[in-house]
Amino acid sequence: MLELSNVEVLYSDVILAVKGITLAVPKGSCITLLGGNGAGKSTTLKSISNVLMTEDGKVTSGTISFEGARIDGGDPAKIVRNGIVHVMEGRRVLSHLTVEQNLIAGGHMEPSTQSMRRRLDGVYDRIKRLASLKSRTTGYLSGGEQQMVVIGRALMANPKLIMIDEPSLGLAPMMVDEVFGVLRSLKDDGLTLLIVEQNTRVALDLADFGYVMEDGRIVLEGNAADLRANEDIREFYLGLNLEGERKSYRSIKHYRRRKRWLG
Amino acid sequence: MFDPIDFLNYLINGALVGLLYALIAMGFIVIYRASKVFNFAQGELVVFGGFVVWWMVIQTGLPLVVALPLAMVMSALFGLAIERIFFSRLVGESGFAMVMVTIGLLILIRGLILVLFGPQVRPFPIIFPLKPVIIGDILIPRSLLIGAMITVVVGLGLSWFFNNTRAGLKMTAVAEDHQVALSMGISVKRSIAFAWALGAVLSTLGAIIYLSGKSLNFLASDIGLSALPVALLAGFESIAGVLLAGLIVGAVQGLVTAYVDPVIGGAVGSVFPFVIMLVILFIRPTGMFGWRTIERV
Repeated sequence: MLELSNVEVLYSDVILAVKGITLAVPKGSCITLLGGNGAGKSTTLKSISNVLMTEDGKVTSGTISFEGARIDGGDPAKIVRNGIVHVMEGRRVLSHLTVEQNLIAGGHMEPSTQSMRRRLDGVYDRIKRLASLKSRTTGYLSGGEQQMVVIGRALMANPKLIMIDEPSLGLAPMMVDEVFGVLRSLKDDGLTLLIVEQNTRVALDLADFGYVMEDGRIVLEGNAADLRANEDIREFYLGLNLEGERKSYRSIKHYRRRKRWLG
Repeated sequence: MFDPIDFLNYLINGALVGLLYALIAMGFIVIYRASKVFNFAQGELVVFGGFVVWWMVIQTGLPLVVALPLAMVMSALFGLAIERIFFSRLVGESGFAMVMVTIGLLILIRGLILVLFGPQVRPFPIIFPLKPVIIGDILIPRSLLIGAMITVVVGLGLSWFFNNTRAGLKMTAVAEDHQVALSMGISVKRSIAFAWALGAVLSTLGAIIYLSGKSLNFLASDIGLSALPVALLAGFESIAGVLLAGLIVGAVQGLVTAYVDPVIGGAVGSVFPFVIMLVILFIRPTGMFGWRTIERV
């Protein structure tokens, strides 16, 4: 459904943030993109939605295609219209508006008010919590509630593919479970998901397939189950050693603690 | 001695003038919301609109019913042209650069008006009957009264539009955050273009009410400056708030002009709105109804 091949992203004509990545998101699948800070995960999503445009970045080589058509460098509004919605990192609610106003703004592409209302009811139905928060100003909601608002707002655009950037960022463990519960329900309904996460455990629990990015490159890919079992993932992203116990870092020299990916 | 009828006269007339300021301030606010640009050339847009109306009615001799809508269309096109020529190139530039462009625009439009229409004082067509409305002993200029009604209707209408309709909420999303709006599939450029067109139309509407039956030359742009405290007092995001801010500024200005000016013998009335504005900004930097920075602790 969505294919990236050898995509390179350059910021301000000097900073190469993504150094040629290839990934595929098949229809109906849930893909996760893992990796540490500054690995280029968010930039990859921004290159797909082309929000990159506002940050003086551009795709300098490679192609991005969605349902067979090239979309790299396209108009962000058209990309959303095609069915890709990007939920940006950091719960970017329209903070002075109410929950309902946020959702209505998200449904701006619906052909009529009636169809928008139907969609709105659908969102309230799926994310029950939002229905009771309808008239609250989103800026004052809790982090988890705001995350629900932005996911709901993305659903209002009637997407085929939702790209979501770090939904667990800064949330309490219980809220993380609730947010991922919503994402699971979307997956079960056949929506295609591309999730960027640092919380490797919850992401691999939900996803079918994962990519690991480091320094602008994809260094590892595989089925979620394989990744969960992978020695390096266990050690460096899940914090487990081979026996499944927590590792004591006191016994190792600090420079060996971090995995160095060569390639 | 103090005469309650005089007092009411000053109060009501002041409030009506304040609502006229509010209409001009709406132009500021509509443009600011969408493009985050404080448009210093707003007063020039008013004068431009005024001259377009003058040219169509007095020079070309079109009847008012044709000339006024046509003038609105022309000013909308003028707003669109400004956006396309100057501001669509500046997307992503600093706010400071854009504000400097509006100052350049101020000088440019002023020059353009002098070249196109000349420096002479022109008679502006009488759009609203000159006969004042008289209620008891209170005398109200008809143009201001009708203008105030138009302002209230337009203000409440726009406020409803921006808060309830899908098209309006789209514009409000742009006002909140360009990048988020973009990620939601909203065309930020189109929203900004629409805001400029709307800002120019509001200015022309303001010109019609302000200038009806008066004379017109390029100095009429001073009304842009008078509207400034109203916009700041209301806060730059609130359309409905600007109505109340206009009433307050206008009423206070009217009373101060009537009672303080003769005593001091100076133009306290024209300074006072700015004093109110400064005091309010000390207490509430985002104005009375502007978007306050939401901080969660």
